[in-house]
Amino acid sequence: MGSKPKQQDYQASEGEKASASVAMAEYTYFKQKYDPLLQKMRDDSLGTNDDKTLRGRANADTMQALTSAPMAQQAMSGQGSEDLAQAYQGQLGIADKSAEDIRNKKQMNVLGTARGQASDAQSGMAQAANLATSEALERAKNKQLVSQAKMTAIGQVAGAARAQGMANKQTTGQKMGANGMGPPQEVKGSFFSPVNDAGQKVSGFNNRLAFSNIFGGG
Amino acid sequence: MLVGAGSFSMLGEAALAGLARQNGGQNGGQIGGLPNVSDPEKTYANITRQEYLDYVSQYRDFEEQMITEAQTDTSLIDASRENAQIASGIAQGVSDRNASRYGAALTPAQAQEQRRALERGNTLGSIQSVNDARIAQRELNQNKLADLINIGQGVNRSSLSQMGSAAANATQRKNAYDSAKAASKAQTMSTVGSLGAMAIMAFAF
Repeated sequence: MGSKPKQQDYQASEGEKASASVAMAEYTYFKQKYDPLLQKMRDDSLGTNDDKTLRGRANADTMQALTSAPMAQQAMSGQGSEDLAQAYQGQLGIADKSAEDIRNKKQMNVLGTARGQASDAQSGMAQAANLATSEALERAKNKQLVSQAKMTAIGQVAGAARAQGMANKQTTGQKMGANGMGPPQEVKGSFFSPVNDAGQKVSGFNNRLAFSNIFGGG
Repeated sequence: MLVGAGSFSMLGEAALAGLARQNGGQNGGQIGGLPNVSDPEKTYANITRQEYLDYVSQYRDFEEQMITEAQTDTSLIDASRENAQIASGIAQGVSDRNASRYGAALTPAQAQEQRRALERGNTLGSIQSVNDARIAQRELNQNKLADLINIGQGVNRSSLSQMGSAAANATQRKNAYDSAKAASKAQTMSTVGSLGAMAIMAFAF
């Protein structure tokens, strides 16, 4: 027959006591160190710092895209500001949306942690690195590119025409007298029409093509 | 309305001090820098209770604010309207500065056309960005609500699990009590029966 149960046989082992002590110490440490951090994150998530950052970025993107190379032609004609206004609004809208998204993620992380649920652990600030480009900004950028291309093309055509005109003026030919008599007279080309060796004005598409020697013919 | 961060921190400290006081009775001081937990069950009960009180004091308002915002927030739409005014001013400023830089003197007709074009572009941009903002706002609010519901569902699941454990423990205790009571009754009856049998035997012989 066994003896009656003794209370000391039912007390916690040293290992259990140590485990409980460590758990209590860790809990106290967590409350002192991490709780304030989570509270700070909560307060930060209610702020608007991200809005300012992203709106600044949107402003820079728009100005970089549309005003980094100011065009005299636009200034003279007074056009283009409506595209800038639209693009700017589009970019600000994207910045606001991204900032709101980041704020929501931060808040969910704080609440998820506070409620003992999984936290996403991503602020979403990476979005700031590749802030989307609004359709309006793309359109304005493209419009500006087309405008620039047109001006370049006009400049090139005008330059080529001027060079060709000057070359035409440089051409000379020897024109014989009316009945083949008398000394030949030197004839110079005009701006719009060169003269051939015989001193005749080159006119008409076929003659000009032949004179240009572009296909190697004479 | 959410209270300030300062009061939250103070509440956190106060809660911690309160918890330490509550555990003081069953924790006999510190051993080698570690707190001595002589009654882990009661300590655990105190921590569980304190955690909930901390949540209520520090995060309940925050959570309720988010639940309300997820259903009523129109900040993106409001901002898009304000953006229209800002964009108009900036575009006009850029245009004026460029004109000044290149020495452009617009004719009255050109200046009028420029103003009209800017107003037209700004109005179109405003309509577009408000519409975009409406869609974005709805999307963000729905995502926020879905995340909140997800968190709430997780909390609900773990709460029900805790309640299930408590209920199972209660049932187990009741059954153990009933069993013990029945066993005790049976033991009593058995003892009475034995005593009765012994008495009969004693009187018979």
